[in-house]
Amino acid sequence: MAHIHLEDGAFSPLWLLVWSLIAAGLIAAALFVNRKEKIPPRKIAIAAMCVSVGFAAFMVEVPTPVGPVHMNLTPLIGMLVGPSLGSLVALVINIFSAAIGHGGWGMIGANTIVNIAEIVVGCYAFRLFRLRLRAGTFGSGFWATTIALTVGALAVVMIVAVSEIQGSQLSREETLTNTLILAVVNIAAGVVEGIVTGYVVSFIAKVRPDMLGTGRSPSPGGTAHSASPGGIGHG
Amino acid sequence: MARRSYSTHIPDFRYITYFAESGNSIVHSMNPWTKAALLFFVVALVSVVMDLYWLLVILALTVTFYMAGKLPLKLLIGWYTLPVFFVLSLSVLFIFTEPGTSLLRTEIVGVPIAITDRGVLLMLKLLVRALAVVTISISLFMTTKYSHIAVVVSRIMPGTLANIFLLSYRFMFETSDEVSDVLDAMRSRSGGLARGMLRQSKMFAGIFGLAFVHAFDRAERIAKAMEARGYTGEFPMTEPLPMPSAGGYALVAVGVLSLAIAAYSRYFDKGLFGW
Repeated sequence: MAHIHLEDGAFSPLWLLVWSLIAAGLIAAALFVNRKEKIPPRKIAIAAMCVSVGFAAFMVEVPTPVGPVHMNLTPLIGMLVGPSLGSLVALVINIFSAAIGHGGWGMIGANTIVNIAEIVVGCYAFRLFRLRLRAGTFGSGFWATTIALTVGALAVVMIVAVSEIQGSQLSREETLTNTLILAVVNIAAGVVEGIVTGYVVSFIAKVRPDMLGTGRSPSPGGTAHSASPGGIGHG
Repeated sequence: MARRSYSTHIPDFRYITYFAESGNSIVHSMNPWTKAALLFFVVALVSVVMDLYWLLVILALTVTFYMAGKLPLKLLIGWYTLPVFFVLSLSVLFIFTEPGTSLLRTEIVGVPIAITDRGVLLMLKLLVRALAVVTISISLFMTTKYSHIAVVVSRIMPGTLANIFLLSYRFMFETSDEVSDVLDAMRSRSGGLARGMLRQSKMFAGIFGLAFVHAFDRAERIAKAMEARGYTGEFPMTEPLPMPSAGGYALVAVGVLSLAIAAYSRYFDKGLFGW
């Protein structure tokens, strides 16, 4: 959804470099936070699992009258694994996606910036709604996802408008106007994903609340999973 | 090999890995570092080159590379659907507003719109660039063994990232099977994704919620197994990678030279190749 479906060569080399460097800075910061906390194997395995589920969700195209859309799940990943580990998850998903033409290799930087924005906003908005505003699980998931994907859609517009399409004669303002249509579609799709995520979060809260850090639940083996504030521990 | 995938137009990592592990061609035997360098050069070249004819030459070279890997062309054409769709859906936003000679003019709700020659040219360039990179990228993954990818990834990525990448590569097959199972079950009961997205959000929540819960359960079991086997923060690489051959270095040199010429002719001497 809020994912730059531009393939390689759409941006000039200068802008590819700019977005890649910014993304590299964000990933370096995420690695620094994670290194400080010494990531246990459990968190690495969970992050890898989130990549595989996130990538699988990216691949399920849902046909709509305006063309196929797919679930992003980045805000949900943010809620489950937190901003720092979630940022690494976003990068790896983008690498796998680029490998099969779901966005270009050169676009990994720009895509990662957008996805990190969604993950960070998704994570903190969920915490805000759930813990501070005491909203319900569905409402917290819905609003956090909708806000995060709206931010992501606007980030896409900003990145495309600033970079401009290579070889296009359109001015930045014209490019901005054109891509705003894309943003409107993405935001509408984000609301749908918000509803789905709301249900997903409600489902997870029922069967494994420890994943969201909102309580305790019996595990299949009969022991209880300990709850940690904010899922598996957010850096 | 039995094929299970979401659809015929979305590349399936299981299928990709099958060709990588069982194939036997000159591209399969090529050093992974050389192939990674070629991927880099193709991405850089399509970003620098502006002339459609040269872009077509790059696309032709990548398709030749793919065929040299003895990989099925029909499969590649099916997998082109995704990038073609992305380029076309984005081009709709530009093809009508790009200044140039009008090729087709019509009115929608009283508003005149026209497809211009420059708009079509822009779309074609984006399309050729996308297909060239997708071809070389899929060729790379369909001709490189997992153990070799593991070595390359562990050398170029920081440890934590490399571990997440390599683990998720392994998990991908199981997760995609699980999602495919759910989608098959839905279709066999006359379910539809379009209807599901609009009216059956709960069904989607079930699919993805269950996938995440199973993923977390599995991850916890795997983490315990990793610790039991003495995991120390990195995966041991059992298969060393040799350095590229002389032919590999020659290919890289050609890549460097092509990129240098393309960059020079774009930024310093625009008349060199006519762009």
